[in-house]
Amino acid sequence: MRHFLQLAVILPLVSSVAVADAPNKDDVKPITVPFELLKTQHMVVNIKVNGKGPYRVIFDTGAPINLLNNKVAKEADIIPKKHPRPWFAPFGSMGQFKIKSLQVGDVRAENMDAMVMDHPTVGLISKFMGPIEGIVGFSFFGQYRTTIDYQKKVMTFVPTSYRPPDMMDNMMKMLMAPAAGNKVVAPAGQWGFRIHKNADDTMPGVNVKEVMTASPAANAGLQAGDRLLTLAGRWTDTVGDCYLAASQIQPGTEAVLRVLRDGKTLSLKVRVASGI
Amino acid sequence: MIKQCLLANALLAIAVSPACVDEPKQVEAGRDYQVPYRLTNTLHTLVRAKINGKGPFNFIIDTGAPLLFVSKEAGKKLGLSTDKKGWTTLDRFELEGGVALSKVKCRVETPFQLEGMNGLGMAGAELHGIIGYTVLAHFRMEFDFTRDSMKWTRLDFDPPQPQAVGKKGDGGAGGLEFIGGLMKALGQLAGKKAEPQIIPRGYLGIEIYDCKNKVRVQSVQTDGPAARAGMAKDDAILKFQGKRVANTAQLRKLAGEVAAGQPVRLIILRDAEEKTITITTGDGL
Repeated sequence: MRHFLQLAVILPLVSSVAVADAPNKDDVKPITVPFELLKTQHMVVNIKVNGKGPYRVIFDTGAPINLLNNKVAKEADIIPKKHPRPWFAPFGSMGQFKIKSLQVGDVRAENMDAMVMDHPTVGLISKFMGPIEGIVGFSFFGQYRTTIDYQKKVMTFVPTSYRPPDMMDNMMKMLMAPAAGNKVVAPAGQWGFRIHKNADDTMPGVNVKEVMTASPAANAGLQAGDRLLTLAGRWTDTVGDCYLAASQIQPGTEAVLRVLRDGKTLSLKVRVASGI
Repeated sequence: MIKQCLLANALLAIAVSPACVDEPKQVEAGRDYQVPYRLTNTLHTLVRAKINGKGPFNFIIDTGAPLLFVSKEAGKKLGLSTDKKGWTTLDRFELEGGVALSKVKCRVETPFQLEGMNGLGMAGAELHGIIGYTVLAHFRMEFDFTRDSMKWTRLDFDPPQPQAVGKKGDGGAGGLEFIGGLMKALGQLAGKKAEPQIIPRGYLGIEIYDCKNKVRVQSVQTDGPAARAGMAKDDAILKFQGKRVANTAQLRKLAGEVAAGQPVRLIILRDAEEKTITITTGDGL
């Protein structure tokens, strides 16, 4: 128990590392990277780290950050000479570092974040499937329009303007934030209708209670009494869902409301206004 | 470092398969779907699914998982019964955006990553499961984090089933399982909840536009909260709750933080004269 408590105290004290870096230059043509599918159904790609390698790693959309084992970290010179070994390093966990260059097939990314650690699940897989040295995750693929085709066993990558936030930074903010209680959610634009759902109503959708006169929703033909099923393709089964969906739709853009009226499903196109 | 190890491991959603499953039937190769997603605080791609018509439940898209995991909690809610080894077949598994599979084998199990993330409320949403290879491989998937939905294209492909690695009892996370329980314990100490309660923001009933570094009112909805408080077309809004606003984006952000039924104080400029008006926010999108 004391250990737990110590952990709880340590958690919020640690600060973060730098932010993800400058964009790659746009190159519109997708770069194709083949992958190997293990019998465990994990995707394996070949990477080079700071020009060293190739190394076999797992491509994992469920990993927020890249991960490399200590062997690669040493060969590719990832950990700065003066970096002290942590006082407690389970599974050889050394911390988060910057990789100057990470090549995944023919895709080259610079200044990538990576954790250094001998991940036991990766170890387990490589015990049976040949050497696996780490994981490529969101800090890499988040920067690209990434396609995965399991049938052809290829991925494609096109750089986008999106830059992943620093994972550790993000996580510390999360942990230090007050306990998730209530969160006010706002539509990005103005639609002009009110919704309601009774607590004992378990059917899909919410009821449209009122449509404001001359509002975007009214112009699109929405009527009080309609059952709103989706907003911009997102399910609206609760009032909260509906606000979350609307929080994604910027003023000036068009989005479709799917409603049930007299037993028929209608699609209504709304041009969302700038309003509050 | 201890925190990095714990946290990072809980976030790295990678799992190995404990046993074999049968494949679901497939249809409509070539069809495109727009699958809405949300990026969690933990940088996971979260999609929503209905199981046997119930839900929605939150799942993360995880090429590091060999199959579909439904958490024990969600399984209980759904009344799913499993065989002795924890397997069940879902009659229907439907993702937001219209992707649907029938007769999907899955495991009713809470991987430690989910337990940990939910325990600490890290993702910003309660996670009910992980979608891995046996579902994902039916599609060509496109991720693009500048867009708010993924593109999934149905393939004419019968994905082979994953094989377990290692001996029996060895097929877990290789010794990391303790982390989930530990993080749950930490989360309970800190009073964390997995899923925040959503409060709709209050509605004012005005359309606004940017004009010469000021926010101006384009129209006021008849009988809306702003109209009742005396706001008029062409008013310029200078301050919202004591904070100066120079453009519509700033005002939308501030107004987006106020729940329905709350009084808000605005300083407006009308006919070269500053006025204070107080609006009680209403309800509406």
